[in-house]
Formats: sequence, structure tokens, C-alpha cells
Amino acid sequence: MYMRRTSAGTWIVVLIVLLGVAVGPTIAAAQGKPIRIGEINSYSGVATVYTFPYKEGLALATKEINDAGGVLGRPLEFVHRDDKLKPDEAVKAARELVLQEKVDFLAGCITSAVGLAISAYAKEAKHLYFATHCQTSRLTWDDGHKYVAHTTNNVNQYVRVAARKAATLPVKKWAHISPDYEYGHNMWEEFSTYLKQIKPDVQFVQQNWPKLGETDHSSYITALLQSGAEGVFSSVWGSQHINFLKQARPFGLFDKMRLVAPSVGNPDELDPLGKEAPLGAITTGFNPYDENMQKWHPKLADWSKKYVEWAKARGMKDTQPKLGASWGYASAYIIAEAIKRAKSTDPDKVIGVLTEGFDMEFPWGKVTMRGCDQQAIPPQWIGVVKLGKDGKPTMGDVEEIHGKDIVRSCDEVAKLRAAAAAKQQK
Amino acid sequence: MDTITGLFPWITNGPLLAVQVLSGLSVGMFLFLVSVGMSLIFGVTRIVNLAHGSFYMVGAYLMVSLMEVLPDRPWAFWLALLVAPLGVAALGAVIEMTLLRLIYHRDPLMQLIMTFGLLLVIGTLVLLVWGPDNKSVSRPDILAGSVKVFGQPFPSYYLLVLGLAPATAIALWLVFYRTRWGMLIRAATVDREMLGALGVNVAALYTQVFAFGSWLAGFGGALAAPTVAVALGMDADVLTTAFVVVVVGGLGSFAGSFISALLVGELQSFGILVFPAISIVLIFALMAVVLIVRPWGLLGRPEE
Amino acid sequence: MSTRLWLGIALAVLLVLPLVLPVFFLVLAIEIAIVALFATSFNLLMGYGGMVSFGHAAYFALGAYTAALLVKKAGVPMLLALPVAPVVAGLAALGFGYFIVRLTHTYFAMLSLAFGQIVYTIIFKWTPLTGGDNGLLNVWPPAFLRSQIAYYYFTLVVVGLSLLALHAIVSSPFGYALRAIRENPRRARYIGVNVRRHQLYAFALSGVFSGIAGGIFAFYNGSVFPDFAYFNKSFEPLVVVLLGGMQSFLGPLAGAFGFKVLEWLISKWAPIYWPLFLGAVVIAVIVVLPRGFVGLAEGWRWRARPATGK
Repeated sequence: MYMRRTSAGTWIVVLIVLLGVAVGPTIAAAQGKPIRIGEINSYSGVATVYTFPYKEGLALATKEINDAGGVLGRPLEFVHRDDKLKPDEAVKAARELVLQEKVDFLAGCITSAVGLAISAYAKEAKHLYFATHCQTSRLTWDDGHKYVAHTTNNVNQYVRVAARKAATLPVKKWAHISPDYEYGHNMWEEFSTYLKQIKPDVQFVQQNWPKLGETDHSSYITALLQSGAEGVFSSVWGSQHINFLKQARPFGLFDKMRLVAPSVGNPDELDPLGKEAPLGAITTGFNPYDENMQKWHPKLADWSKKYVEWAKARGMKDTQPKLGASWGYASAYIIAEAIKRAKSTDPDKVIGVLTEGFDMEFPWGKVTMRGCDQQAIPPQWIGVVKLGKDGKPTMGDVEEIHGKDIVRSCDEVAKLRAAAAAKQQK
Repeated sequence: MDTITGLFPWITNGPLLAVQVLSGLSVGMFLFLVSVGMSLIFGVTRIVNLAHGSFYMVGAYLMVSLMEVLPDRPWAFWLALLVAPLGVAALGAVIEMTLLRLIYHRDPLMQLIMTFGLLLVIGTLVLLVWGPDNKSVSRPDILAGSVKVFGQPFPSYYLLVLGLAPATAIALWLVFYRTRWGMLIRAATVDREMLGALGVNVAALYTQVFAFGSWLAGFGGALAAPTVAVALGMDADVLTTAFVVVVVGGLGSFAGSFISALLVGELQSFGILVFPAISIVLIFALMAVVLIVRPWGLLGRPEE
Repeated sequence: MSTRLWLGIALAVLLVLPLVLPVFFLVLAIEIAIVALFATSFNLLMGYGGMVSFGHAAYFALGAYTAALLVKKAGVPMLLALPVAPVVAGLAALGFGYFIVRLTHTYFAMLSLAFGQIVYTIIFKWTPLTGGDNGLLNVWPPAFLRSQIAYYYFTLVVVGLSLLALHAIVSSPFGYALRAIRENPRRARYIGVNVRRHQLYAFALSGVFSGIAGGIFAFYNGSVFPDFAYFNKSFEPLVVVLLGGMQSFLGPLAGAFGFKVLEWLISKWAPIYWPLFLGAVVIAVIVVLPRGFVGLAEGWRWRARPATGK
């Protein structure tokens, strides 16, 4: 056996590829007119259940905006990249989008780590980044800066609304089950601190931190059954939540304690659960078909229909308007609005518009882009899982609170930022 | 990090402990079904099939589709459970005949990377065919509730698993040790070339083994479907665990896979309670400990 | 054919690149160089030593985190922090390697995987130190290296020197002993080579250079994450070496180039269903190119021999 030297032939091949690669993109990049937003999100793996409807919402809004004349007379265009659920892939994509694709702005994220990573890159590269689907409050608060804006609500908003509702229950002993990573910790911390604030006599009797993506929760279920808790807060989400709920049901867990689970009100969890859905669970979510919702927001029914037709035309398997779809839709419009008001794609001018803040009307209510932290504040809904008229589980008894009545104030945000900066110094 | 789980007060609680042990056993039995297929394929073809988890996932998704298509009758579930794995076996056979056959003479690493390519392709195909949404299969009505074990509720569906898995293990043992085909498989594990020299159609045998291994993976997936969310990413989750089970048991060892699966199942069940902080690495820690003490897994044979 | 001449030309081209190409390609070149170093250090173990590790990302990650932590938490300047990275990675490789080299083949790979996952878990869970799953952000090089062009030259220098060192190692008596062990460990033992010790040192050295790659990557990326230690990252050098050809020293470099360009083009043209295309390409390459990219050019002149002994 011998080790061979690389022959000249290899280098010829290498150079040919190099040439082809250098020429190709130059041909492709021969347009300059559209306003291009580099959008980075998780388009493979478990997150697709959220990001696919989100992308469709984004695309629907983009089409509407462009049909109405575009932004500053130019078409809006989103250039997508997959972050593969990894922050360093996201940073790599961000770099490529800024340096090679020469996008005007960055957008996207679903996982908190990705959002924070892109935000750090944006700050360094002095490029404006609109975080969209991820929800950590650290983005615009603790680690906020002028080059990041957040177009959807953050954890603080819906967790506080859930905690407020939880405080009205005759439940003193709480346990929780949250996935063991930043989001889960953030959720529990926000929920428990706010709940304790508004109802000081609550006790937290047990903590459960399954790993993210756990498939077998039987030990956690058994532990919960023994905890003596009267209520359980669950920030587990997605397929893991479906696993947990399906496994918990035969153990009779939810006959013993009330469930408060922000994510379960969403169709992506309720539809697969079907008759195994946890009826009576308190949840935040988005149900455009609820009677109350349609009464308060008359334009919602039309929007839902429009989205369903759009999704069908685009070949989506499930065409119902999900929360993510509304987030994608809102994000595109908010970005477009910011650019329109700035009358330019210069990041500093757009940041100027964001720091002034503005309001926008959507089919589901008013969204406020708050100036002090560049954080969007939409309405928040809270309800209970019930069986709908068609016998399928849905979020019912919906109540609405506007986020601005409940999220941390600008002063509190300033304090958080100062505390985080102080920690960086040392 | 705060990890009070309230375990210790009830560790002396007999009935709960019993339920926990049973849960661990069920998990172990699932793992056995999935892992034994991988061990079998490796034992005969020497291929580490990274797409094994993908077959498990396809089995679960086929279960979903079958349950959607079949009428809402009690027998629908059992029919689906029978048919879904056959679909996966067919897929496995096709892949073996078209792609894997081309690379048997190649470096095992190349084969590994090839199966990795398959993992990527099958995963995306599932996304394209079934879409990104989470899916679910309901448990059949007679198994939807729970039974009382020492006064504690225990899901009835797990009893099915606790029954089926050992039955499958026994059936496999009978196949390997009491049929001619099983004898050929065992012979192939020991010396393929000699088997070919003796006139056995080794190529056909390989296809059959691969199809059978895929069938087992699909069966595991179909059986698991009512207990988990059927979603993308299932393939990677189960692959890592199955791989660990197979290696800890000893590659190619059928009994090793069984013992190892039980061990891993119980570890997942109790380990989470005893070592909650490191639940993400428990099975790897187990693998490290086993391999340091027994370099070829629990019951594996020294190679070459 | 004069390899020296070709290398000289390649070097000249690389030095002149920033003047010719847009910044993005420099950034791509930096990534290729880092992956090439990681893959070459991995190939020391695999191609030359015959040992396949599934947990090499751990040493890459340890290098990255060491450098990042020293800069962020201890205020050490980058140029002083960077040399510490390979030391830590090398020591870890030595420690884990002690147990790993006692095994062979799949078990070797799996134990290395287990240790890799243990490193990942420590990084993931030790949030106060490592930042947990959020990682450490704002890990930037000093001002004079902050521009892409400057960091490109810096990477060229570090990677170039490392590759020279690795080449010296594989061309040394140690390297030849390693190859002998790969071919036939028993015979090597008979002629007096201490097999275990050679394998352990190879493992440790491989860890050292992976640590360097991780260290430079940390400052290029501006952040470090626990994913750096996860097993998917461990498959990267494996795929790169196999695609590039493990038979030659520069195979991993060719593989890194091909893989990174392929990855970029696929993510650009198929951002949504890219795994399908990547998987198809991987399958196609394995079926069609027995010797990897390197073999693409050499295939006609040389008759194919089996890839490696085992």
C-alpha cells in the first residue's frame, strides 16, 4: 500500500471548478432593483411544522405588497437560507447573504440561539436584522441593540398572560415541565416570577427538565403524579409536547392537575392529538375561527380564507392559517412599513424610524412597534382547550389582552440591558 | 441548575417503582425491535445502516397513512400494523438491490457514508410526501386506557409492546436457529466467502436480510406510532439510541441486543430520575463505561 | 510532475486572491482552509493510522471554546489565547485516547463518539462558564485582524504552517510506523513498534491540530456554540476525507474545497429541500468516484486498487 501524491490532473479539476463557481454567481447577481431581505430559518427537520406556514404567510404578504406597488416603487424579495437549527450555520448564512447576495436587510430565526447569534453578527457587521419567529426576550431586552428588531411577540408577553390566568385558578401548588435549554428556562423563569408576584402564596413543588426532543416522558409523568402539585405548567412544545401529552393521558395526569401550556392551543399540536388532546388546558395560541375572535376582528375571516386559498395554490398539505402564518405575514408588512417610513434602505434611517416606533393594523388587531426596544407588541389571546362544533379539539373561550398592557415597560428594559452590560464588563 | 424532582421520598414506594420498572421495560422492548434489525444487517452484510432510523420513521408514517385510509373499525389498526412494515421491507429491498449492491466490495466507510446519504434523501422524501406537520396515530380503543398495576395506572398499550417484543425475540430465535434460512444467515455472519463457495446465492441472501432488517425497523416504527408524535426528526432520534444499543450489546449479537436494549430502557427510565442533570448523555456514558470494560460490547465477538 | 512547482503556483494564487475576488470568496476560502486543516488532522488518524473516530468534533470544540473563554472571560489577547487551544484539545485527546485506542473498528469509533457526546454535554450544561446552548457571542479578533482580508491572510499562515507540520509528521519515521500499523498491526508489533503508544500519540496529535482549527474558527465565526462538539460535526471531516480521497496528503484539502463549494451552491439553489440534493450528490459520488475527487483526475492513469486494506 502506498500513499499517492496529488497529480496535476487534480489541480486542473480544482481550477475548473473554481472558475465555474466564480462565473456562475456573477451572472446570477446581475439584478439590482428589488429590495432583498436575507431570511434565515430552519427549513429542515422538526421545525418545519412551524416554518413552512410561516414562509407561506411571508410569501402571501410579499405578493400583496408587490402587487400594490412594492416598497419605494421596488419589489420586495426574500432570499431564504436554512440554518439547520444550528447557530453557526445561521451565522454562516448571514455572512453569505450580506457579502455575496448583498441583501439589504437580514431577517428570520426560530430558535433563540440562532436569533441571538444572528443578532451578534448583525451588530458587528452593522446590518439591520429583523428577528421574526424566535421568541426569547433577550433578543431585544437583555442583549438588545439598535441593529436588531423583533417583529413578533416575545416569551414575556404570552407567559405573563398565562400566569395571570393561572393566578385565577384555585391552585396553590405548581410543578412544571420544561425542555432543558434557554427557551425552557426563560419560560419557567418568566412564568414563575410573574405568578409569584401576582399571587404570593403559590408554591413551586417540583421542577422537571426533560432534554429537548425527549421521546419517553414516563419518568417525568410518574414524578409529577407524586409531586402533590395541583397544577402543572408545561413549556414543552411541538412534537415533544405531543409525545408528552399522549404518554401522560393513560396515566390520568390531567385528571389530577390543571395544565397550563402556552403552546398546546395551536393546531399543529391539537390536530394530531385529536381525541387525546388535554381538554380544559389553559393555553395561548391563535384560533382565527373562534366566534369571539371573528366578532372582535371582522377582517379575520377574510384573511383566513385568503390564506387557505394561497396555501392550497402553493401545494401545502395543511392549509389552515397557523400562528406562524400570521407571524410571517406580519413580519413582511412590518419590515416593508419600516422601509417605507424611512424612505430609504439605509439601515440607519430605518433604525431611526424604528426608534420612533409606529403602529400597524392587521386582520387580528393592532401591532405596536415599540421604539425604546424595537420590539413588536401584538394582541395576545388566551383560551381553554375544548371540543369544537366539529368534534375536533380547538382553543375556545378566547379572551384578548393587548401585549402593551402586560409586557415589561421601557424602564424595566433599560434596567435589564444595563444589568446584562455590567455582566459583560467583568 | 435547580433539579429537585422529588424522587427520593418515593423511591421506597413499591408500586410506583414497579410501574417505573415496567415503563423502562416497555421502552427497552421498543428499542430491541428497532435495534435488532440493525444488528442483523451488520452481522451479515457488515454494513452499518445509518438509514435504519429512516426506515423506522417511514414505518410510522405509513401507519399514519394507512389509518387515514382504512375505515374506523377495530381491525383497522391491526391490519395497518401488519401492512406498514411490509411497505418498509419493500423499500429496503429496492434500496439494497439498486444502490447497496454496487458498493459491497468497497471500504465499509464508504458504505457508511452512502447510508448517510440515504438518510438525507429519505428524510426529505418524507417531508415532500407527508408535509412538515406533526401526525399522530390513536391507540386502538381496547388499548387506549390503563390497567392497574399494584394500584397504579399503567398504559394498556405498553402491555402490547411487552407482549409483542419478547414474542418477536422468540420468533427471531426460532428463525435463526431452527430454519435453514436462519442457518444460512448465521453462516454468512461467520464466513461469507465460504458460503458463496458452497453454492449459496449470497446476493439474494443479502437482499433478504436487508429487507428483513428493514421490516423490523418498520415494525418498530409502526408499533411506536401511537405512543409518540410522528414527525420529522424521528429518524435521527431513534438512530442514535439504536446504534448505542447495538454497540453496547455487541455488533451482530442477537442476545446482546436484547440485554442491551433492556439495560438502556431501564437506564432511560431511572437515569432521568437519579441523574437528571446529565439525561442528555446517559446512554453515551453507559456506552463509554461498557466499552472501556468490555471492548467488544457485552456479547460481541472480537473482530478479525 | 513537479509538485513543488504546482504548490508554488497555488500559493501565489492564494496570496493574490484578495485583490481579484470579492470578499465573500475570501470568507469561503477561510472556511475551506479551516475545514481542510480539521480534515487533514482527522486524516492523520484515518488515512495514515487506519483509525476512524466519530467524536473528533470534541477536540475542535475544545479548541474553539478554550480560545473563546480565555479571550472573553480572562481578557487574554487572541494571539496568546490561540496557542492554548491546541494544548487543551491535545490533552483531552490524550486522555480520552488512552481508552479509545484499546478498541478497534466500530467500537473505537463508538467510544470516541461517546466521549465526544460527553464533551458536548459538559459544554451544553455548564451554562455559567460556557453560556450553555446560547453559546458565547461576540468573540472577535483584535482590531488589526478584524477585516475579512486580514483574517484571510492570518488563516493562510496558521493553516499553512499547521499543514507543513502535519506533513512533516506523516513523512517522519513516526508517520511510517503509523502506516505500518495501519497495514498490519501484528507485523508492526513483531518488528518492535509499540502499537498502542503510536496510536495514542497519533490520536493526541490529531486532537492538537483539530484544536487549532477550532481556535481559528472561533474568531472567524465570532461565536462558539455547543453544536461544535455534536456528532454531526464529527461527520464533516469524515465525509470530506472520503470525498477528497484519503490516499493522499492533500486529499482532504481537495475534499474540503469540493465539499464547501458544493454545500454553498446547494444551499443557494435549494435552500428548502437541500438535504435531498446533498444526499443524492453524496450517493452519486460514492457510486461513481471510487477514489473521491482526487481520484477523478487520477482514475484514468492508474488502475483502481481497493480503497484501503480493510
